[in-house]
Amino acid sequence: MSGTGIASAAADAYPVGSRWTTLPADTWWICWRELKRLWGQKIRIFMTLIQPLIWLALMGNMFQRIAAIPGFPARSYLDYMAPGIVTMVTLFGGIFGGLGIVWDRRLGYLQKLLAAPISRTAVVTGKMLAIAVQTAFQALVIFALALAMGVHFAAGVAGVPVLLLLAVLLSQVFAGISLCLGAVLTSHEALMAVVNFLTMPLMFTSNAMMPLDMMPAWLAKLAVLNPLSYAINPMRSLFLTGWDWAGLARGLVVLALSGLIMTAAASSLFRRSMA
Amino acid sequence: MTGEAIVETEELTKRYAGGTLAVDRVSFQVKAGEVFGFLGPNGAGKTTTIMMLTTLIRPTSGRATVCGRDVVASPHWVRQQLGYVSQDVAVDESLTGWENLYLQGRLYHLEPAVLRQRVGELLATVELEEPAHRPVATYSGGMRKRLDIAAGLIHRPRLLFLDEPTLGLDIQTRSRIWEYIRRMRDEHGVTVFLTTHYMEEADRLCDRVAIIDHGRIVALDTPAALKQALGGDLVTIRLAHPGPVPGGVGGGRPPLDRPAGDGQQAGHEAGHEALKALAAEMARLPLVESVQPGADSTVQLVVREGERATPVLLDFLSSRRVRVESVALKRPTLDDVFLRYTGRQLRDDEGAAAYHRMARAVRRVRG
Ligand SMILES: Nc1ncnc2c1ncn2[C@@H]1O[C@H](COP(=O)(O)OP(=O)(O)O)[C@@H](O)[C@H]1O
Ligand SMILES: [Mg+2]
Repeated sequence: MSGTGIASAAADAYPVGSRWTTLPADTWWICWRELKRLWGQKIRIFMTLIQPLIWLALMGNMFQRIAAIPGFPARSYLDYMAPGIVTMVTLFGGIFGGLGIVWDRRLGYLQKLLAAPISRTAVVTGKMLAIAVQTAFQALVIFALALAMGVHFAAGVAGVPVLLLLAVLLSQVFAGISLCLGAVLTSHEALMAVVNFLTMPLMFTSNAMMPLDMMPAWLAKLAVLNPLSYAINPMRSLFLTGWDWAGLARGLVVLALSGLIMTAAASSLFRRSMA
Repeated sequence: MTGEAIVETEELTKRYAGGTLAVDRVSFQVKAGEVFGFLGPNGAGKTTTIMMLTTLIRPTSGRATVCGRDVVASPHWVRQQLGYVSQDVAVDESLTGWENLYLQGRLYHLEPAVLRQRVGELLATVELEEPAHRPVATYSGGMRKRLDIAAGLIHRPRLLFLDEPTLGLDIQTRSRIWEYIRRMRDEHGVTVFLTTHYMEEADRLCDRVAIIDHGRIVALDTPAALKQALGGDLVTIRLAHPGPVPGGVGGGRPPLDRPAGDGQQAGHEAGHEALKALAAEMARLPLVESVQPGADSTVQLVVREGERATPVLLDFLSSRRVRVESVALKRPTLDDVFLRYTGRQLRDDEGAAAYHRMARAVRRVRG
């Protein structure tokens, strides 16, 4: 009957491609879905922007006097805090950004994606790309707000894309961690507990709010291991002093490598979780 | 119909990590162009089987080929051939209906121009043109399921897997979905593999049905043949009272080991004995194939030519002065086939679950 007619037509129409050749396109379409979803939740976008604004306003005022402590490296605490807030928002956006995969799994959407002839890796890279886009947008808005509040940016216009690049690379490290957790833990409650447990120590063992040499020694040692520090140091230079090429190169390399490692780990854990 | 096998399994088995043997050495073929059904209660292994065939989980042992290729060796190729509509309604609520279909087409790597046209056609087919640009969050359950099925067809697969396509839907939506499934097969030659625990659905929709229970296929044939194999029509007679049995026919037999209803008293036990004796006599009447005395003073018979056999049975009972409370004559259904092969009613699971829920609720209230 017509069964075979359709069959051969279908086989002709969709040539068999290897799974790697479709990775970029598949990544983009998974990302497209995430961005559409995000766009549909205007309140979420609003909250992710209003929160840093409040921090900027509050912390700038509350801790203004810290800047007066001898040895404090910035003119005003707000100048000092602005890159800290960019990284903080990046941390939250990244580490919560991958958790949606748990809902996709529970609602059966993940299975539907995986029944399609897409690259398995695209499920991970697509979500990471969406987080990168979201982070770049947020960092840009916070940067604009900070300027409007009188924050000084020493590196000038050329420093802006570098600032965004640092934020995006950092977001990929945390998105990777988030997706690893999402691949291993299938209960949303357990996941939230772990993520909440992680975020605060990550903040306070970095130099987001305090210069390293004003910290206790043990804390300063931990801060060296914290990926946040590798984004904050070069960002802070961009704000306070301008171009510190060595620090910038070190930050970019460490963040890019960590991001790649986390991406690989997330894809591998994710594939294994689907076996 | 070509009759060539489009799905073929040999001793296909899945044991989950926890130790559950979900699918146990299942072998069957689905022929190109047919609507093939897996009928079985919850937990029978239907979804697990579909997930192995759609490359979502790996078989523990055994073999499965889809469109001629092994699912484990060529998963990517197999995915391109088939459409899959899972038992979860897997549409994205925050996208519109149109966007859901468009995304699905992109994931099957369709050309944008072809895809746009096809999205339009499919939205028309499943009657979702009007709400197409509303977020799916505003859709009813039936609308979501129709969208989900349309998504499974976006790349015009020659083989479509539908896992419980009408689960929890109202009667109207259900018959609409049956209509789509028939049209896909008739107009586009799509082979359909569906699972269901609705007997009526399997009966009306499927060319062939495999009855699956505890991970095993217990029967596989056309619905007509399965029902015919039962040997005739079903007559259920409820007696006004079991009545005394004259002549001691079969009186000395040991009691059946099947327990009566819900553990009743000795008086009832005697009644059951009498009923059994009566049943033994009825088994010797013309046209009667088999007799089974049941609980509650009922007798179930399989008879040839039910219309002619029923008066014979009633005559016999009145000659024995047994009063009859009611008689039911019906053609066998797949429910009866299921009962025959598994000793349980297909609806038992649902009924039992509902009963336990109610019992718990009552206990809580009384608590
Ligand atoms: N991921 C899983 N891990 C362990 N056991 C499972 C899993 N999925 C299903 N099962 C078990 O396998 C059996 C068959 O389940 P399933 O294939 O979903 O049945 P059906 O679709 O016929 O209702 C059930 O006993 C179920 O509890
Ligand atoms: Mg199921």
